[in-house]
Amino acid sequence: MISLPDLLMPSRSGRDARARRALATLSRQASALRSAPRVPAVLAPKGPPAAKSVVVGSAQKLNQASGVLAFSVLTDSALEHYRGSFRNRAMFTPLVVSTLALAASVHGTADDRPDVHVARDVVFGLTALTGLIGTGFHVYNVGSRQGGYRWLNFFYRAPIGAPMAIAISGVLGNMSERLRRTPRGTPPTLYGLDAGKALSLFTALSLAGTTGEAWLLHFRGNFQNPFMYTPVTIPPASGALLADAALRGGASRRSAARAGMIATALAGLAGTGFHMRGVARMMGGWRNWTQNLLDGPPIPTPPAFTGLALAGLAALDLLERRDD
Amino acid sequence: MSDKILTNREPLRSGLDLEAMHRPRARNGRAPDPHVPGGWFPMREHREDEAVDFAIVGTGAGGGVLAARLAEMGFSVVAFDAGPYFRPLEDFASDETAQSQLFWTDRRVTDGENPLKLGSNNSGKAVGGSTVHYAMVALRQRPESFRSRTKQGFGADWPVDWREMWHYYAEAEEALKISGPISYPWGPSRPRYPYRQHDLNAAALTLAKGAEKLGIKWTETPLATLSAPRGKSPPCVYRGFCRVGCSTNAKQSMLVTFIPRAIKAGAEVRDLAMVGRIETDKQGLATGLHYHRDGAWRFQRARNVVVAGYAIETPRLLLNSASDRHRHGLANSSGLVGKYLMTQSNVAVWGEMDEEVRWNKGPPSLAITEHWNYDDSKDFFGGYIHMSQGPLPVEWASVHTGARGLWGKALQDEMAKYNHMVGLKMVGEMMPQERNTVTLADEEDQYGLKVARVTYSWCDNDKAMIEHSLDFMGRQLEASGARNVWRQPDDTNHLAGTARMGDNRRTSVVDTNCRSWDVPNLFVCDGSVFPTTGGVNPSLTIQALALRTADRIQALARRGEL
Repeated sequence: MISLPDLLMPSRSGRDARARRALATLSRQASALRSAPRVPAVLAPKGPPAAKSVVVGSAQKLNQASGVLAFSVLTDSALEHYRGSFRNRAMFTPLVVSTLALAASVHGTADDRPDVHVARDVVFGLTALTGLIGTGFHVYNVGSRQGGYRWLNFFYRAPIGAPMAIAISGVLGNMSERLRRTPRGTPPTLYGLDAGKALSLFTALSLAGTTGEAWLLHFRGNFQNPFMYTPVTIPPASGALLADAALRGGASRRSAARAGMIATALAGLAGTGFHMRGVARMMGGWRNWTQNLLDGPPIPTPPAFTGLALAGLAALDLLERRDD
Repeated sequence: MSDKILTNREPLRSGLDLEAMHRPRARNGRAPDPHVPGGWFPMREHREDEAVDFAIVGTGAGGGVLAARLAEMGFSVVAFDAGPYFRPLEDFASDETAQSQLFWTDRRVTDGENPLKLGSNNSGKAVGGSTVHYAMVALRQRPESFRSRTKQGFGADWPVDWREMWHYYAEAEEALKISGPISYPWGPSRPRYPYRQHDLNAAALTLAKGAEKLGIKWTETPLATLSAPRGKSPPCVYRGFCRVGCSTNAKQSMLVTFIPRAIKAGAEVRDLAMVGRIETDKQGLATGLHYHRDGAWRFQRARNVVVAGYAIETPRLLLNSASDRHRHGLANSSGLVGKYLMTQSNVAVWGEMDEEVRWNKGPPSLAITEHWNYDDSKDFFGGYIHMSQGPLPVEWASVHTGARGLWGKALQDEMAKYNHMVGLKMVGEMMPQERNTVTLADEEDQYGLKVARVTYSWCDNDKAMIEHSLDFMGRQLEASGARNVWRQPDDTNHLAGTARMGDNRRTSVVDTNCRSWDVPNLFVCDGSVFPTTGGVNPSLTIQALALRTADRIQALARRGEL
């Protein structure tokens, strides 16, 4: 039996056993999205429970986060670049890369081994790079039309912040791999910083950036529905709470940040519903879906907030471990 | 739609021949809801033998706004329109010829050295008036335009301060959710437009390119069509049929904005109701009006009458309402009713691009420059704007057959270039001249009313402005990369004047409240009160003036001067 995680696995001995373990974990993750260790003994991971408990668990949560982001980017770039008729062949890149990132994330989510997976690592690295290059393309696209960098072109040309979503997905995946490598008994670090702090600050920053993107496009839509203020209020506020919890510590700050992340995750899901309603409000509504899916509010984008919130929750686990 | 079209037994004439064009819809306590196919609003009705506070003639940019505001202030209001009450979602076709149903094509006589072409771009016959098919360009006149005589040395001053007008402009922009640029590059600072600007089509980008090459400023045109949803109106889908009626209701015409507001506030709208005469009593006060509906003449009593029929029908009604006491027409002691008719020059330059442009996509005028309204280093009085263009095929063919006299193979060859064409068209301020008039001809129309004779001649200043604009626009179009640039030197559009407002009863028809000097319970609320027409499309100015007139009427009422 062959699955996507199998295909991504480097060919070496013990591959089948690992794949089985990965699939077992995947089904466990599917049945209980929040990684709960309370599972039937048959499916329980074989690794040492102490090491898995927080660090690898956080790594897997980060893979959930990177996967949600990759899924959002895959569907959004498919829609938007189709709308742009794939005029430039480079417009296929985010589709390919986000598909790979999604696969790597699913694989990582199902993998509770405490070491770096080379293929995944490469994919996530490429993903981050793609986001940066894509941003370059979008920045160029905005400025290349008559009028250059004026509001008009920020509103209607390539959305300047969108490629950063896939970059963030890549960075989260990369962080996940770094976390797994943490030697037992040592505090986890990321790029030389305390892992919980680094991830919290990165997540807070990412939330701020995504808020900027939502603000630009909701400003273009004149915040005509009051709920359009949701993504420019809840996520940045929650990001601030997260940064606060990371920098100053304390159980109450962590609880506040956790509530914020849950609110952000739910807001992301609710946003999808609102955007579907937005499509209905276009001329012809859902009967005219071939046009309105492209011209109405983009349905795939709000879950990016959910992805970032999952990263925030993983960061909070790490902070909890650090402070306890 | 098909089952709605031929419910009457008459043969197809022009357009769709909708039932709405033959039988009044707004009656029996309800009026059509333009946002819902087959939908209705409850509507308050008024008895004809009980005097209503205000009888308003016309439901366009002036009458539509005033009806809503007066009703919201608590006055009883009946608004009359000679045209049908449409529901665009079911009544409008994507067909230029069929949509001529929106134009006022009743018989008129034109003469003068430069007779006006009347019909499409300067009239409307529908509830909502010509806003139902206008190009939605929503501009403010520059401050100096309200003091043309004093500040600019021509025409006449308005009896209104520009700051007051700019206050009401902001109110009108908000009411229509104008989509415009974040910051407007000309004139004093103004509030941010309520909705964001629309994206530009290729025709508009051509204007931008030419403007940048010549070193002048350009911007996205402030438009009365939505860039985001509003209530039941979806955002614009860039169909491009704006000038023959918006079938999606993205256009914020009177029909989908102020008319529903008016009805909700208790006003009654009577469609297919042609007002033929205002009745006055022995004291010279208006007592009501005679109107034709359902094949018969009827009479509505009213305490006040507002005429809002635009620059031809307004003076025609006043002149047709002559009585023993008002021998030369109502409100005409100055002798100026029907005089100082103004149009706006609407000449254009056209050219071909190598790449495909598809200029009919989107609203016709998405980009604009007001450079020659605000730059005073020119050899003529007044100013003009120019905007990108996107005429529909039939309209475009008529430019070739009319302005260029092309036919047959030559016409076919030109039409084959349609998707590669670009153009720049100006809206320019023509001078108020007493010799340009609306008078009564001897002929009668289908209602037995004397038809209007419209006399128009350009003056030297008008010609100088036209020459200047053709020259400048030609250079700009060539700078943007267009080839084979040619001129269309004869077009005009919007109207104004014929019942001018002023400070002096000898030199104007209405005072600063837009109230007749002669008949204190008679008001005029449309473009006819403009002393000068300015170098911008007039709709927003008419709407702003109507908002102001409503406030003025309320103030008069509070002081007991109504």
